[in-house]
Amino acid sequence: MTLAVVATLAVVTIAFRAGGSALPASLTRRTAGLAPALLAALVMTEVTSEAGVPELDAKTAGVVAALVAAALRAPLAVTVGIGAAVAAVVRAVT
Amino acid sequence: MVAAVGLFGVSFGVLAVAAGFPAWQAVVMSATVFAGSAQFAAVAVMSSGGGAAAAVLAGVLLNSRYLPMAAVAARTLPRGRLRRFLAAQLVTDESFSLGVASGSPERPDGRAIVVAGLALWAAWVIGTLLGALGGSLLGDPARLGLDAAFPAMFVALLWPMLGRSDARLAAAAGAVVALVLTPFLPAGVPLAVAAVVGLALSR
Repeated sequence: MTLAVVATLAVVTIAFRAGGSALPASLTRRTAGLAPALLAALVMTEVTSEAGVPELDAKTAGVVAALVAAALRAPLAVTVGIGAAVAAVVRAVT
Repeated sequence: MVAAVGLFGVSFGVLAVAAGFPAWQAVVMSATVFAGSAQFAAVAVMSSGGGAAAAVLAGVLLNSRYLPMAAVAARTLPRGRLRRFLAAQLVTDESFSLGVASGSPERPDGRAIVVAGLALWAAWVIGTLLGALGGSLLGDPARLGLDAAFPAMFVALLWPMLGRSDARLAAAAGAVVALVLTPFLPAGVPLAVAAVVGLALSR
């Protein structure tokens, strides 16, 4: 099961990069909305329960901290580190 | 940047093994897929019980951005079929961003993409190996807050995109779609719908 995930995702991703490098660049603009919509959806699914209700837990605290860090233009690694650290601290004290 | 990606690779290795992936598969995944967001998303869907198809779908949709990114990068990547194929595999959010910083959004510096991509690839794969093998030494990833690392990275990647009004609209739509559909559909499927909505909102 996990091997099928790894193999399929690998083949498709390699094909995306190889195929893209053989395509004209004019496609870029028309796919510009995909990444922000998908990333926002990923964040929401991580901070809500399966019932679609926001969860006020350690992970959500970490995400809020990461949002603040990102808004303050912290580098990617710092933002991720702050998110993880805040989640770990909140989890330790609750 | 390289050290950070290496540490991130360690956390991916830890989480992949925790989600049921054998260590060697986690390493192969990092070496071939070489895309943090898609790998974390696929592993997150698997560990939340979304199933293999939904995991692949989430990863494929996230990585579909490499099609247009590679198309833009190809203008300055090395010539020759094999060299271009290999160079295109080194296009990531990070290497592409460094290429844009060294060149321009329309003409990213192909050499910067390749040099940065190679360094990041090595760090990512070695980090994954260490995390996958040493994960048990770290204990529960949640205790270290590593579960918050996924969404924190997504936030970090998303925020700089929100300077554009069309990206803000797409992000808002994606968030709403995820909130509304999550109670009714299997994990991963709301992500696919959000991606399609985002594409539809692209100008």
